[in-house]
Amino acid sequence: MATADPVSDMTAQADHTGAGLLVLLAPMTQEQLQGMLAHLTASFPAESLLVFSPDALPPDSDPALRFAAVPATSTSWTLNAADFVNAYHLAEENKARAVLMLGPESSSLDLSALHSLAHAVLAAPTDLAVSCYDLPPYAGLVNSAILYPLTRALFASPVRYPLAPDICLSLRMAERLAGVAQRFTATNQADAPLWPVNEAAVAGFDIGQFDVGPRLQHQPTGPGLNTILPLVTGSLFADIDAKAAFWQRFRPFPAVHNAIATSHIHTGGASPDTTPMLQTFRLAYTNLQEIWSLVLPPSSLLGLKRLAATDGVAFRMPDSLWARIVYDFLLAYRLRTINRGHLLGALIPLYLAWVASHINITTSGSDTESHIEAVAAAFEAEKTYIVSRWRWPDRFNS
Amino acid sequence: MKKPASATDPLWYKDAIIYELHVRAFADSNGDGIGDFPGLLSRLDYLQDLGVTCVWLLPFFPSPLRDDGYDIANYVDVNPSYGTLDDFKTFLDAAHQRNMQVMIELVINHTSDQHPWFKAARLAPPGSAARAMYVWSNTDQLYKDVRIIFTDTEKSNWTWDDVAKAYYWHRFFSYQPDLNFDNPVVMEEVLKAMRFWLDLGVDALRIDAIPYLVERDGTSCENLPETHRVVKTIRTAIDADYANRLILAEANQWPADVRPYFGNGDECQMAFHFPLMPRIYMALRQEDRLPITDIMAQTPAIPDNCQWGLFLRNHDELTLEMVTDDERDYMYIAYSTDPRMRVNVGIRRRLAPLVDNNRRRIELLNSLLLSFPGTPILYYGDEIGMGDNIYLGDRNGVRTPMQWNSDRNAGFSKCDPARLYLPVVMDPIYGYQAVNVEAQLSDQSSLLHWTRNMIALRKLFQVFGRGSLSFLNPLNGKILAYLRVLERSDGSRETVLCVANLSRFAQPAALDLAGHSGAEPVEMLGYVPFPTITEAPYVLTLAPYSFLWLELQPASVKPVQSSSRLPAS
Repeated sequence: MATADPVSDMTAQADHTGAGLLVLLAPMTQEQLQGMLAHLTASFPAESLLVFSPDALPPDSDPALRFAAVPATSTSWTLNAADFVNAYHLAEENKARAVLMLGPESSSLDLSALHSLAHAVLAAPTDLAVSCYDLPPYAGLVNSAILYPLTRALFASPVRYPLAPDICLSLRMAERLAGVAQRFTATNQADAPLWPVNEAAVAGFDIGQFDVGPRLQHQPTGPGLNTILPLVTGSLFADIDAKAAFWQRFRPFPAVHNAIATSHIHTGGASPDTTPMLQTFRLAYTNLQEIWSLVLPPSSLLGLKRLAATDGVAFRMPDSLWARIVYDFLLAYRLRTINRGHLLGALIPLYLAWVASHINITTSGSDTESHIEAVAAAFEAEKTYIVSRWRWPDRFNS
Repeated sequence: MKKPASATDPLWYKDAIIYELHVRAFADSNGDGIGDFPGLLSRLDYLQDLGVTCVWLLPFFPSPLRDDGYDIANYVDVNPSYGTLDDFKTFLDAAHQRNMQVMIELVINHTSDQHPWFKAARLAPPGSAARAMYVWSNTDQLYKDVRIIFTDTEKSNWTWDDVAKAYYWHRFFSYQPDLNFDNPVVMEEVLKAMRFWLDLGVDALRIDAIPYLVERDGTSCENLPETHRVVKTIRTAIDADYANRLILAEANQWPADVRPYFGNGDECQMAFHFPLMPRIYMALRQEDRLPITDIMAQTPAIPDNCQWGLFLRNHDELTLEMVTDDERDYMYIAYSTDPRMRVNVGIRRRLAPLVDNNRRRIELLNSLLLSFPGTPILYYGDEIGMGDNIYLGDRNGVRTPMQWNSDRNAGFSKCDPARLYLPVVMDPIYGYQAVNVEAQLSDQSSLLHWTRNMIALRKLFQVFGRGSLSFLNPLNGKILAYLRVLERSDGSRETVLCVANLSRFAQPAALDLAGHSGAEPVEMLGYVPFPTITEAPYVLTLAPYSFLWLELQPASVKPVQSSSRLPAS
């Protein structure tokens, strides 16, 4: 995404008469950018459109298009704090009514779907329009296993991809997110992810979810699961901690405009080999017992003991056990039971066990989305567990 | 350079958890037997984990320390025993990074007799500007009907000064001459000192001994209109240059006399509720809610931007000035059987010893502290049930070193024990080997864990800091029951029912909750749903010294009880 000091060199081309829709693009090839701009100008009146990109304007672009280049200082795989600060500053400066933020590889999206995102905010009352992707069966599993069910259970939001890199914001939503983001940028954490769905839920803003079809996932260079999972999970845990006073109160399910025509059904197909995952889990069961026993209550440890003794194909992690494990790690994160880095590292083998279980379940006939929905439902059912443990974190009785 | 406010909400103090400590008593980093700012810095994470959001520092300024730092010799520096000004700034930044505010003392009623202003005043000729910094008289008959506060040590509010050849006025110890607020230079100097600390980023000021700032003959010299003008001047100066700062008034007065210190929201934002504290102890001893409900009935409404400061114990004696003579006699008999437990007009004991170290009583009193309308103020060490030492002089018995672990000097300092500023508590019940942070951190059932959980729970519900209070009046007088209600501008509402059993035996309670018929109470600690409220009296049974906090939820949002089943095999 485009970040850092965005306005210094853009004013020459982008005047200040006001833009209906401000679009912030992540870096892409000239060809991709050309296609994206062509679609945007076809979908929105050029006079109400203002596009910012870290790339140069392609030579054959519509001359009526208001376009400005902004330096890209971040190569983050998702939207981060600096992006949201910049988005609001640009939106405010250009009197935009909506900000469409498109992350890396957004050119792979069905471009007509972007119209839905932007239109939802421009037409009001949606403050936050979030993309719902049609991803391959085993893609985005950290989201499916942790981010989505936690967000859904605690913030009563059915947004399937709470960390979606393609979103559209109303001006007040952008302002709110910029306010949160500034706390990170002020402490040199410009790359920190933000949680727009949680913010919108707390603010009582209207959230919309829109089916945007398939999407190429940006493959971060360098960091793997050992980095990504602690990063996003830790960030979400911290956000949940900060918003405890909100999510611990039972509230009616907020109205989320769900524009998903049908759920994405994925069954069968080539399945990843679960053997290394289960080996990692079993090794961790031997080596990480000491840490897990600081975090998990006896009933969960007993469940893990049974799992560790289960053969590969029969390996199934009960949804409620997984929900309680994640909740107990969330609690340990809040209580700083152990070093937070170590804590989140100790979650990885458990996550891999869940993935192995998920693969086993889906290869034996169940479709992936059905299982993910069942997991999310388990998180909802166990919400009272985390609330009571949060308020009285005593592992004696669990 | 002026630092911006660390708090973003102008009413931050309403949701705060304030922790009172003395730098000297908290942690010693350099092994000289005296606590210091680097030591305090090293313990900030502990305070953060406890849930503290505002640290109140007792005076840490250069001082002869004859009154534990309330005799200030320099308003704009740090006592070298506690570190340097840079150490203070480092501590302040670290606190702010942890989203904690910092409150310091503005002791402006008096200075030390070692303050350069007083030294100059003694030598200056009568009528001179230097002399006029303090209150002088040729006779000790002026203001002769004004009461003496430190009755154990002072026989008069005047002391003759041989150098000045005149009497000087002091409401407290004779080595603490009162500043003369009729002299505009005094006000200028006070504002200068105040700005010095606010510019550094200090969030709150506790104005010590606020009722006594101005004197007028023929009056009690307390709570005078001129005093309120001084307070307004200070507040105006703060509001003009600083955002989101707080003034807390120390006015040991009846609620009706404290009320004017809030003004129309344009004097102090907070003031201690002194009379409530002894009555909580009285109610516990008498197993009767009347002392509490009576004093709350006498408590006037305060402006929306103002807040009471609530406490169970502090660095001073459990003051009995704001009780009747009979009540005082009762409290002395009940809580200070040994005369050494008394000082001035009060009882110099900590929370745990006051209630015979009974865990249930400690928890009950803390539940009231955390659920009554106001901001709770915890005194350092009370979260682990620290004891006191009644054989130390003055109020030093409740100012002993913080007990961190069972190592030498309770982990407070690595110095030779003989070098400690005060000895650590060593008796078999409250001694540091038995009562310390380290042990309680490793004990899930400890008072420290309990306190931490309760603070965290309170912080989840804004109603405790901002809501209204209304008492229920069950027939059983041993039951104290009240509703806290917060109506927000967005239409949302928080309602909490608090019920406390002041008795050592189990008690029944039948509460008239017909006005909430249909609501479903949820016990807040365990998130346990209770039976729905109907028009009929709501019947509860409370264990000895137990309490219940119940959130009254609309019927549609009742939680489902989580099962405690074992995982499927």
